[in-house]
Amino acid sequence: MLRTSFGNLGRHPVRTVLSAIGVTVGILTIVTMVSLGVGVQKEILQQFQGAGLEKISVRPVTEEPSAYTAFAEPKRTVLITPELVEEMQAREDVVEVLPRVSVPWGATVYLQVGGGEFSVRVYVGDSTWGFNDPFTEFPRVLAGRELVEDSPGEVILSKDALETLGYDEQSDWEDVIGQEVHLVLKAPRGDSASFPLVVAGVQDTTYWGANIGVTDALALKSWWYNDPDILEHEGYDMLRIKAASINDAAQIVGELQEQGFEVESLRLLLDNINRAMVVLQTMLGSIGALALLVASIGIANTMIMSVYERTREIGILKAVGASPGDIRALFVAESALIGLVGGLAGTILGWLLGLGLNKLILAILRWQEVPVRGTFFAVTGWLVLLALAFATVVGLLSGLYPAARAARLDPIEALRYE
Amino acid sequence: MDVVVRAVGLARRFKMGNAFVDALRGVDLSIERGEFVALVGPSGSGKSTVLNLIGGLDRPTGGEVWIDGVELGATDERTLTRHRREHVGFVFQTFNLLPRLTAVENVALPLMFSGVPRRQRLDRARTLLESVGLGQRLTHRPGQLSGGEQQRVAIARALVGHPALLLADEPTGNLDTTTGAEIMALLRELNQERGLTLLVVTHDPEAASFADRIVKLRDGRVET
Repeated sequence: MLRTSFGNLGRHPVRTVLSAIGVTVGILTIVTMVSLGVGVQKEILQQFQGAGLEKISVRPVTEEPSAYTAFAEPKRTVLITPELVEEMQAREDVVEVLPRVSVPWGATVYLQVGGGEFSVRVYVGDSTWGFNDPFTEFPRVLAGRELVEDSPGEVILSKDALETLGYDEQSDWEDVIGQEVHLVLKAPRGDSASFPLVVAGVQDTTYWGANIGVTDALALKSWWYNDPDILEHEGYDMLRIKAASINDAAQIVGELQEQGFEVESLRLLLDNINRAMVVLQTMLGSIGALALLVASIGIANTMIMSVYERTREIGILKAVGASPGDIRALFVAESALIGLVGGLAGTILGWLLGLGLNKLILAILRWQEVPVRGTFFAVTGWLVLLALAFATVVGLLSGLYPAARAARLDPIEALRYE
Repeated sequence: MDVVVRAVGLARRFKMGNAFVDALRGVDLSIERGEFVALVGPSGSGKSTVLNLIGGLDRPTGGEVWIDGVELGATDERTLTRHRREHVGFVFQTFNLLPRLTAVENVALPLMFSGVPRRQRLDRARTLLESVGLGQRLTHRPGQLSGGEQQRVAIARALVGHPALLLADEPTGNLDTTTGAEIMALLRELNQERGLTLLVVTHDPEAASFADRIVKLRDGRVET
């Protein structure tokens, strides 16, 4: 039966190919779409998993500035209280909770080492925390060690800051470890406060001059605002949470958002990307579906033509004992075969297109110096099978009506047909 | 006596636009097993209609047609299809071979619908073609064969399903006299050697002379 179908299709190769091209275009679009979806989603998920999807940043909410408060420090309406920190720490699905306090904006901090004094930028907390951004490199430890999370009385200094003060050799940096230095806050009102700290390490960074723990940062802030109970009034400036898993992160993000916090998570970004992908897939899918619909009409037309042309042949087949079912099967098989051939071509072209686009995208990424690599179009085994099956079904469905017409033909009239 | 075909009051009315045309107005006909019957008559006398009704290509509008104990007019499409496949073989004036298939494939074609495996189909077709003298023409296509050869292929195809009854509609109509006589001789031979029952429609008296019995049809009735 299949052999016969192949033979019949071979009789009008041009017509067969033209009918199949519609399917090819449809399947090409769908294969490209799905392979892009599969590839990019996999790629993004991988990149993001490495980037720390389970990490969440929480910020307090501040009042919308009004005409009266526009130039004042904005008031906080939703606070990150020590109670919230404790509550988070107690959770099973949370691995790590790090409250953050920033050194007041506008405050100038001087670092005093030995006799020298130098204005520095102060960084609070573990400097390696954050989303694993492929673009930044973490500071290297040159002497001593990194800051232990919230270690009151300790400070890590940067190589740059020390160099400015004349400590520019490895031995100098090692000598500094364990020494007492001072961070000096100078208020515009004229007075100043000095905070003694012990140097725990020296790191290679240009981003900050001194790195201190949260408790010391709170002391700095408290003095700056002249408010001994600043934690009670203002709460923490930020809370960093590491969830046990990506799904836990999503859960926590939802809860915190409900409480009114401003939450930042790569998971949210990923959700947005996923939404964009769905839009893209729907768009391409619609084009593919439209192409397949048109293709299906084309196939049906071809098959109806074929039934007309082969009316006499159908009569002969019926006379020698073909049942209506046999005739129907013959034409449906032919039609399905057109679909399959078109689908095969579409799948191969889609695969080739994917390979080409992969190369192109990688070339562009390399040229733009974006440190992202990977496969963006992934044509998987199941995708190939699915595409072929889909194309075959489209062909098959298109052939149903013409085949039914062929099966219904009256054998005597068909035999008389010239 | 073993009667293969029995038609009783067979009638067939065709609708032509708004008018009705009675092709058959009550044909009574019996054919015994192993008989070679020629059905003759002027064109329009209903010869082919009788053949089509007996062959199960058409259904009567009146009367009955019994083939091997089955009344075809009352059967369903499936039984009719099986009747065409298993009980009768058709030979046409215009041969009606499929031009794309080789001689052997044409002969094997009916067996495809009986579900016979391809190799067996081709083997049987080859044997039959050899028996009708076309052993050298197995892989030729109809276009490469002469009219007489094509008709032999058609006869082989009609025989491939082991039918009890062979129906031939003007088998010599498209052939010259000599070739026509050869084809009739072949049918006669099949009738005598294999005991095949034959019903041949013809308007050629010479062709009819090969038959055991001649039935004359005129205006849709058997002439007595």
